[in-house]
Amino acid sequence: VKTRSFLQFVAPSALLMVVLLALPLVLTLWLSVRSCAPVLELATVQQSGPFGVQETVTQRARLDTRGQALEQCGWVGWDYYRKVLGMDSDAKLHSAPASTAAGATAAADRPQLGQNEFWQALQFTLIYTLGTLPVILVGGLLLALAVQAATVRLRGVFIAASLLPFIITPVVGALAIKWLFRDNGLVPHLLSQVGVHVFWMAQAWSARLLILLYGVWHVLPFAFIVLYAGLQSVPQDSMEAATLDGASRWQKLRFVVLPHLMPLLAFVTMIHLMDAYRVFEPVLVLTQGAFTTSVQYLTYYVLMEENNPHKASAAAVLTMVGIAVLLIPVLRRTWREQRQGL
Amino acid sequence: MKRRDVLSSAACVAVKVAATGAATGAMALRPSDARAAAAAAAAARPCDNTAGLQADIHLIGNALPAVQHLAARAHACNSQGLKVTFKITPQARIETERAFAAAGRSPFDAAVISAGAFSNLYSRQQLAPMTDLVARFGARYRLEERMLVRVNGEVMALAFMQNTQNLVYRQDLFEKHRLAVPTTHAQLLQAAITLQAQEPGMAYPLAQGYAKGFDVAVEFTNVLASLGGQFFEPGRATPAFQSALGQQAVAAMRTLLPVMTPNALASNTDDVMNLLQQGKAAMGVLWATRASRMDDPVASKVVGRMAFAAAPSVLPGGRTAAHLWWDGVAMPRNMGGGGARREAVFHVLMEMLSEPSVQSGNELAIWVRSAYRPGRFGTGVALAQAAGALAWPAEPFFSLAHGELGKALPDALVGTRPIADVLNAAAAAYQSVAAEKGFLNSAKQGAS
Repeated sequence: VKTRSFLQFVAPSALLMVVLLALPLVLTLWLSVRSCAPVLELATVQQSGPFGVQETVTQRARLDTRGQALEQCGWVGWDYYRKVLGMDSDAKLHSAPASTAAGATAAADRPQLGQNEFWQALQFTLIYTLGTLPVILVGGLLLALAVQAATVRLRGVFIAASLLPFIITPVVGALAIKWLFRDNGLVPHLLSQVGVHVFWMAQAWSARLLILLYGVWHVLPFAFIVLYAGLQSVPQDSMEAATLDGASRWQKLRFVVLPHLMPLLAFVTMIHLMDAYRVFEPVLVLTQGAFTTSVQYLTYYVLMEENNPHKASAAAVLTMVGIAVLLIPVLRRTWREQRQGL
Repeated sequence: MKRRDVLSSAACVAVKVAATGAATGAMALRPSDARAAAAAAAAARPCDNTAGLQADIHLIGNALPAVQHLAARAHACNSQGLKVTFKITPQARIETERAFAAAGRSPFDAAVISAGAFSNLYSRQQLAPMTDLVARFGARYRLEERMLVRVNGEVMALAFMQNTQNLVYRQDLFEKHRLAVPTTHAQLLQAAITLQAQEPGMAYPLAQGYAKGFDVAVEFTNVLASLGGQFFEPGRATPAFQSALGQQAVAAMRTLLPVMTPNALASNTDDVMNLLQQGKAAMGVLWATRASRMDDPVASKVVGRMAFAAAPSVLPGGRTAAHLWWDGVAMPRNMGGGGARREAVFHVLMEMLSEPSVQSGNELAIWVRSAYRPGRFGTGVALAQAAGALAWPAEPFFSLAHGELGKALPDALVGTRPIADVLNAAAAAYQSVAAEKGFLNSAKQGAS
């Protein structure tokens, strides 16, 4: 009976997890190791329209006897992964031999590993993720302590104001930052009044700084509200004991408050690592990828511009692997704490 | 509910504009008001030819003002038996491609598509010909031959609006400094240098959309065409844009950078418009359909002071560095529902593209129909055509090359990598993705 009751309670959530998590994941993996493309043929066509008539040689899908476009699908294994990672291999894909001089030159000039867009995207993604994380943790904690120390009447105002950036839709937030910093924006205008002329999207350091700034502005309220909630449950008897023992404010923070908040700091870290590794909106809106690109932006490009769901699936799986690697230390720590708790 | 709110507010604005116009005599409509008035007019007029039709029709298009006008017109056809929905989304191209490629029935019965999307859809044989419908109803709806996009005689799409890039410039400043309208890149650069030196506050007189991705690749395509270069080897998917002319095209783009804002590589069309409207730049190559926004008093400080000309060629005697674009409507091969349904969809499309529809939305686009009455900025396409502009490349693999160039070109423009290396890398990347999509590099392959 116990087992039956257990299964009855667990089944709905297990079913949801299978349908919403496991199946899409399996489907993504399946897509990533296959490839589909239409079977094309050369055709000379005469096209006319608003700008006159032109005759062109084009390529179009072959049709089967029912008038359906023929498509060739097959297993390509790790080929798309190798392509995304810059270890090019057309072996099993629908290869088009570059027999011409132009093709040969192009093949010889393939970018080196460091110039590969995935590695460039990974580099900036890590800069963003690891650059914003400490600022968010420290900033969120300081803000939480400041609000905790404020009078009760001011707390509501502070909390509401601090949460605004978190409420604003990411694309709108990124647009607001862009409009503040673009040509004629408020920030360049104010800086120019004191003789400082900065073109924020003209070079890598400033473009990257803007995106990091957006990341901190947008996520810091989340860290703040979680840590502020944690501060409400700091055991008062421990604080009073520390006061009686003559502990300074710093010592109380270091030895009472921080250990109490540590699980929440781990939680914020974990959530931010997952979110930040998938940074996308500010890259798309602020710089359109100039000097900055991210692994998620790369997946978007492959899906939307190349219209290749198979290769995009490989890029998505690699993003997931990256997040898993980043989470290992935090998960290990949480796991250890759970074991000790038991 | 949302649509009704939008339409009712549009109608209110239209009434307000009409009342103001009546009170002040012949007051010209502002572009922003014109849009609202057009939407209200489109929604108010009933459909003439859809009475008695029974169908549930779904359409899709992108978020351009002209398409929103067409959507309002389509919604006006809703009746007891006919239900029309029009999905407006910035992702219309990709949603259309997915829908038209579906193994089952397409969720959309027709779509607004660009010339580039048309090439892709036609290449995959996903478009249904409309030749028979045009033959039966063309005269009733006064369809014009130049609206009919034919491939080997079959009508595969109906073009309704066109676009190109024009040079937009500050006429007052050009007259003040006695500058001639530039017809070549050298003259454009010289005019910019003169304004930089002599016009206070004009540190970067030229505004161009060089943003990474779509914008910079469009400009490269324009400049390469002006130089007479080829994107591909004739009849093949083999890239040719990395040629000496391709390198010359990038070099020509680079020469203009010193007179453009240092933010140029992140400047898209909206940023270019902003610079021109705020008087921070004196000239730029801009979409013809956007030029009229220079006279929008809500957004512009230079109302009445801008003029336009054909985009300069790179070298003397070359063709204008611009292309001709069209947008139209097409039906999918996998529409389903039989002949009656197909006919109903066609009638709704005809209501959208009718002469009264074009007349009520006259200011929203450069329409293909001859009922269109060009305003001050409305003759840009004819101007570009006269200056030798070609139609936007129609190869189905072009968008892949365009995408790779958009990613790679900024490196060549800022000089972090040599131009030849960047173009060769873009060519290699393009070859790789073209191969993934099954495109052929040689005639021999195609024959096999």
